[in-house]
Amino acid sequence: MGESRQTRSNTIVFCESHFMEIDQLSSQEVIRYKRQIVIPAFGEKGQKQLKRANVFIAGLGGLGAVSAYYLAAAGVGRLKIVDKDHVELENLNRQILYSTRDVGRPKTESAFEKLHALNPLCRIDAQKAEIRKDNALELIGDCHIIVDATDNLETRKCLNSVSVARQIPFIYGGIDGFTGMVTTFVPGDTPCLECLFPETSAATKKVGAMGPVPGMIGAIQSLEAIKICLGMKDLLKNTLLCINGMDMGVKKLNLRKDPECHLCGIQDQCGKY
Amino acid sequence: MDKTIQVIINDIKETVTENTTISQLIIRYKEGDADLIVEHNGRFVYPRKYEEIILSHDDRIEFINPNFGG
Ligand SMILES: [Zn+2]
Repeated sequence: MGESRQTRSNTIVFCESHFMEIDQLSSQEVIRYKRQIVIPAFGEKGQKQLKRANVFIAGLGGLGAVSAYYLAAAGVGRLKIVDKDHVELENLNRQILYSTRDVGRPKTESAFEKLHALNPLCRIDAQKAEIRKDNALELIGDCHIIVDATDNLETRKCLNSVSVARQIPFIYGGIDGFTGMVTTFVPGDTPCLECLFPETSAATKKVGAMGPVPGMIGAIQSLEAIKICLGMKDLLKNTLLCINGMDMGVKKLNLRKDPECHLCGIQDQCGKY
Repeated sequence: MDKTIQVIINDIKETVTENTTISQLIIRYKEGDADLIVEHNGRFVYPRKYEEIILSHDDRIEFINPNFGG
């Protein structure tokens, strides 16, 4: 039997007391993940790598709901999910973790329930918190990957700072109406978010959003996260994938690191990588 | 009269004066988003280079508005 507990820091953690050895797959796990284990590039080895993974999902809106769902379903060992908001009626056109009866509940609480019901073998740490400059490092803790599912540049910059400082891959995703974009920043290997957006003036604005667009982008982000866990090389590195749902146009923009970036450029000069 | 050159902006041919920089182009086309992404002849341009890069005839420019919704 497992148990769910609320910690002092407002984190809900599910502990599966019969959790198998981290390097073993139980017979239940072999059945549950069978359809992905049969993929040659995945295999039991890949499943075990996923089981050892510790992924941070920043935000549980349209993007985060999708990536959290797919990552929990795929068998990521631990997901840390963080969001400060409560479910609103206007979220339900796209945020597929929530139902009408969840309106008014903290997103973390509702997401925790759904993800745990989906896959009790995935440890879910759900924390209701606002991600800020002064707490991002602590929130991200020992996670191996940051999935960006936030809705503003300021919070993304907080995540990016931790990504660069701790050399954690950071999977950026964003949507606006019919369009969406995604790239994977790998410190030392690619530009960082700051290379692309050195300005800090962007005000948070509510953009138009409908389910299929964050659905696509969130799914790509979760695929990137899985590929990182599996040690696969062909990530969306140095490439901004832009999708326009209006005409189904897909564009890949080649990105380059800014050698004078005040964040990752300085790190390089100091030889910290 | 100023000499002009032709450039392609987001797949549309446009005529601009010679020695136009990317910064001037952004102002002219009212791409006011401070976080605009610019590609010049297939290469990403760092924002701090916008003022330095002078356009040449037949250059291709892509303006891409970033998506920050989630
Ligand atoms: Zn940088």
